[in-house]
Amino acid sequence: MRPTRVWSLLTETLANLRRGGWGGLAAVGAITVSSLILGCLWLLTVNLQAIMSDWKAQFEVVVFLRDDITAEQRDLLRRRLQTEAAVAAVQYTTKEEALAVFKRDLRGQASLLEGLGDNPLPASFQLRIGEEHHTPAAMRGLVASLERLEGVEEVLYGLEWIDQLARMVSGLQVVGWAVATILGGTAVFIVGNTIRLAVYARADEIEILRLVGATRGYIRAPFILEGLFQGLLGGTLALLLLFAGYRYVVWRLGLSPAGLLALDGGRFLEPLQVTGLLAAGAVLGGLGSLLSVRRFLKA
Amino acid sequence: MIQLFRVSKTFGRDVEALADVSLHLRKGEFVFLTGGSGAGKTSLLRLIFRDLLPTSGQILVSGRNVVRLPEREVPALRRLVGVIFQDFKLLMDRTVAENLHYVARALGTPEAAARRKIGYLLRQVGLLHRANQTPYRLSGGEQQRVAIARALLNDPLILLADEPTGNLDAELAADVIRLLREVNARGTTILLATHNATLVKEQAKRTIVLKAGRVVEDNGA
Ligand SMILES: Nc1ncnc2c1ncn2[C@@H]1O[C@H](COP(=O)(O)OP(=O)(O)O)[C@@H](O)[C@H]1O
Ligand SMILES: [Mg+2]
Repeated sequence: MRPTRVWSLLTETLANLRRGGWGGLAAVGAITVSSLILGCLWLLTVNLQAIMSDWKAQFEVVVFLRDDITAEQRDLLRRRLQTEAAVAAVQYTTKEEALAVFKRDLRGQASLLEGLGDNPLPASFQLRIGEEHHTPAAMRGLVASLERLEGVEEVLYGLEWIDQLARMVSGLQVVGWAVATILGGTAVFIVGNTIRLAVYARADEIEILRLVGATRGYIRAPFILEGLFQGLLGGTLALLLLFAGYRYVVWRLGLSPAGLLALDGGRFLEPLQVTGLLAAGAVLGGLGSLLSVRRFLKA
Repeated sequence: MIQLFRVSKTFGRDVEALADVSLHLRKGEFVFLTGGSGAGKTSLLRLIFRDLLPTSGQILVSGRNVVRLPEREVPALRRLVGVIFQDFKLLMDRTVAENLHYVARALGTPEAAARRKIGYLLRQVGLLHRANQTPYRLSGGEQQRVAIARALLNDPLILLADEPTGNLDAELAADVIRLLREVNARGTTILLATHNATLVKEQAKRTIVLKAGRVVEDNGA
């Protein structure tokens, strides 16, 4: 394409966008909302999956010990644990170490510890579970048998959490995709409608262009570009809103004690997903204008 | 340059706009197409630049079979043919210069060349001083001449003029004809449709007469 053609296409597109006015705004808004939902979905999924893989990586069962356990009982217990087929490694954490870790996690909020008096945290064995035993049934069996052992206060394990989280993530994905699809369809329709109005507004010009021998691509390009533009604008707005919302949530979570989900500052979308979000907007806009032009622009 | 073989055009079921028309226009000719209102003049012109397809028959324009022309080659055909439309087809919200400019752009004329050409054509039709006015403020005759200038933008091989003197008084009509004869003198084949019998007689050119869609007279075939 010659530079003059590029330039005239751009100015034409901008003029059309201006002419579009409120209709164009509605189109951009619809794309923004549907892209935003897609973005939220991705963001949640990314973060939940990050949490899950964190949990899985350090997959462990924690056996909390009674405070009155003797050294002998403890050694016996350790040996007993090591004989379990599912247990890949055993690590001991004293009461003092537990407190040190707790303090580190609460850095900057030492006042919370002032009322604690004596160290209330129990000593514990951390068990790493072999990969092949990561099933709910195996875990339940293991936990039940461990809870009966002498000197054991309580046994905690993460699998149930992970199961629930996994179900939540996939449920969220289904609902999210359904909503995003419906809204995306609506956005395509709204864009199509603004493009239809733009086509009608320029019906005379299009007719003349057709008769003097302008090519179909030449006549259609500004309209398709207009839709793409609206889409890209909507996608960009969605991305900005998403980022602002994300920063806000992280800031709120950062304030809450113990960092709740150990979000570690959270994660924003991968670069590929950022591109994907913009592309989603552009695709919605482009599709809307393409369909509309095919239907209403018989050139 | 233009050949029609047994061309018929029927609108709907039974409006027979053209019936069994055959004719041959040679390169460089200036031909009048005449006949009363509804005789089929406009339909015949539209067939030539494929704004219409015939119901039957074949049409050749500059070596192209217009009827069988694939869709994507239609623009190239239309670029060979300048058309002065009966209703001008000007954009009323753009200036005279802009009315020519967007067409030049669509035909791929480079910017500088387009500017030169538009200046030249507007001078030719005596409208350079109107370049920056919208057609609203122009008289019928002036609008007519803008339409002529636009039809000439692409140096067409063929010029089709549909009632180009339709709403002009005799003096202005003569001006327009003079202008078209100059264009013809530079090699453009012209087919001019008019119901104005006096004008046709004055010019003493080859004349094809249509009546109810049939050629009833052709003094130069
Ligand atoms: N698009 C159309 N649809 C239906 N009938 C048409 C159409 N165009 C022309 N006609 C009919 O075809 C006949 C010839 O019309 P036209 O070619 O415009 O004649 P002229 O230009 O000589 O006045 C007329 O009867 C007219 O009503
Ligand atoms: Mg007519």
